[in-house]
Amino acid sequence: MSTLLTYVSIQDGRIKRSSLDLLSRCSEEAEKNGHRSAALLIDESASGYASELSTFGLSKIYIVEGPRFKNRLNGPLLKAFSTVLKQVKPAVLSLDSTEESKDVLGALSASTGAPVLPDLSQFELTENGVKGKRPVMASKILSLVEAVGKPVIFSVRSKSHVQAPARTPSRADVEKIDVSVTADDMRASLREIRKAKGSGMDLSEAETIVAAGRGVRDEKGLNLIYELAGVLQAGIGASRALTESGVFDSSLQIGQTGKVVSPQLYIAVGISGAIQHVAGMTNSRIIVAINSDPSAPIFDIADYGIVGDLYKVLPPFIEEIRSFKRNTFI
Amino acid sequence: MKIYVCIKQVPDIDAPIRIRDGRLLLDRDRMVMNAYDASALEAALVLTEETEGDVEAVLIGPGKAGETIRKALAMGADSGTHIVADTTGYDSAAYANILSAFFTGKTYNYIACGKQAQDTDSGLTGGMVARLLNIPYVSNAVRVEGGHDGITVTRQGDTGRELIDLPVPGLFTCSNDMNEPRIPGLKGIMQSKRKPVHVLSLDDLGIDKSSIKTHTRITGYEQIPGRKPGRTFEGEPGEIARDVAALLNEETGIS
Ligand SMILES: Cc1cc2nc3c(=O)[nH]c(=O)nc-3n(C[C@H](O)[C@H](O)[C@H](O)COP(=O)(O)OP(=O)(O)OC[C@H]3O[C@@H](n4cnc5c(N)ncnc54)[C@H](O)[C@@H]3O)c2cc1C
Ligand SMILES: Nc1ncnc2c1ncn2[C@@H]1O[C@H](COP(=O)(O)O)[C@@H](O)[C@H]1O
Repeated sequence: MSTLLTYVSIQDGRIKRSSLDLLSRCSEEAEKNGHRSAALLIDESASGYASELSTFGLSKIYIVEGPRFKNRLNGPLLKAFSTVLKQVKPAVLSLDSTEESKDVLGALSASTGAPVLPDLSQFELTENGVKGKRPVMASKILSLVEAVGKPVIFSVRSKSHVQAPARTPSRADVEKIDVSVTADDMRASLREIRKAKGSGMDLSEAETIVAAGRGVRDEKGLNLIYELAGVLQAGIGASRALTESGVFDSSLQIGQTGKVVSPQLYIAVGISGAIQHVAGMTNSRIIVAINSDPSAPIFDIADYGIVGDLYKVLPPFIEEIRSFKRNTFI
Repeated sequence: MKIYVCIKQVPDIDAPIRIRDGRLLLDRDRMVMNAYDASALEAALVLTEETEGDVEAVLIGPGKAGETIRKALAMGADSGTHIVADTTGYDSAAYANILSAFFTGKTYNYIACGKQAQDTDSGLTGGMVARLLNIPYVSNAVRVEGGHDGITVTRQGDTGRELIDLPVPGLFTCSNDMNEPRIPGLKGIMQSKRKPVHVLSLDDLGIDKSSIKTHTRITGYEQIPGRKPGRTFEGEPGEIARDVAALLNEETGIS
């Protein structure tokens, strides 16, 4: 029996929901294949989060903690992951695909010799490794990939619409692993963190996203975006045109450079649909596009394409959605 | 200040791609410099303009990929190294092993990479090279500033930006959100013809072709299942807005 180890990422003081989705998928795989499922938490005070993992059918929760792990610098993180891999000897280590995991995957693979498959959209265990599918060429093509080894490291794109099935709570052993972080691991040193200002909603977890592009050209347009996001309780995203100009924070950029999202509903407002943008949202369940140019490529992938001026379309659109909401509360 | 920039030649992702018998059919005439590497090069050029220095572009690829080194020279790189290899089947680990063999024993301030290759979107090579050379690194840079002895790299993280001091020697990987790569002018193109390009074989690096280890294997390609055709609404804005809102309400129960 081998161990499938899932890294559960803690961001801004809470466990990322996409990590929990991944954890439940890995627990399922473990059950199917007669393996153990275990979780790894790395944080300044990681122990405090262990109790939140009681419903995932885990055999073990590994904890790495201490002040060195507060800011997720890649040096200490790398040391933590490689120490854990050496000690736990899992068959696989899975992570959800975030900037944090992207930061360490390559180096971790090089320092442990473990093969790594990044950004899988699907995966399954094989006899002696992992195989899966990953979007390539700006998500125009799927490549079928496999890796053999022990462990195999892989990261998985979040699917915000996968809900973890609840299990009966059970107690998993909690084991602390000591990691000695040396000066060598701290050569790159943090000077400052600048938190993004903004809605604070994690786009990879949002059920609905309203995304704004260059067509949203002024305060009035922005207010319409905020209003629409408000009635839909949606996260706000943006195309590069609006993150580059500083209208929105870069952490809200969706696409090949930015985040990859797959909400239930994606509303693209004033976005042309450049391939690098589409790469980040084409797996949304329903796509609505509002654009004044009938030949905009975004209409090729939209389920509902509204050809029109967003300044004229959004007010009645928002009003209508608001009226649906109101009716359900009567 | 010496900066090496790792550049990859990739297919233009805007070009149509087809799959035949599980293989990609690419238009060999539409190969370009990886856009993230162009940003890495731009960053290196700006850093060395400020401090006087030397930028060398390094590329692993078949003979034809040499044109991408020429492009780098025309943008302003001082020299290039072309490690000629048939890269069929290579993964990031293979590239990283070759690059680290090349860098071992060299003196430099920084190595700059793209944050990912646009064809594979792997984003692994930079971290691998840094680890193999045992130098510190920062990934997903959106800004670099500083000089000879150290730079501060601003990294785009999940929920904000981190400013990280990166000592020498170090490696950083670049996002295109960092800058607009310059377009080579006529003067740059003329000058590039006189700039040196060192051509190396794997043999020259002491690498036995058969020993190149790929960690992972691509067993085939599939078309992404297309989205089902949607509906387009044109007409009076109020009317179509309400129509779509109603349809959405039915389909998703947004209310
Ligand atoms: C390496 C690389 C990576 C990239 N990564 C990303 C990425 O991650 N994310 C990203 O978004 N982009 C990315 N880009 C940039 C991308 O190529 C496009 O330039 C960008 O997405 C364009 O943003 P946009 O659609 O908002 O602007 P535009 O392309 O200018 O489109 C604006 C649209 O608004 C419409 N419009 C104008 N006025 C109105 C109105 N009143 N009502 C309705 N519609 C209106 C227009 O018809 C037009 O279609 C990347 C580019 C490169 C080279
Ligand atoms: N064949 C290559 N030659 C030179 N540099 C490369 C090559 N392949 C990858 N790189 C560098 O590694 C980065 C990340 O590549 P990847 O890990 O494939 O996403 C690229 O942006 C380049 O800077």
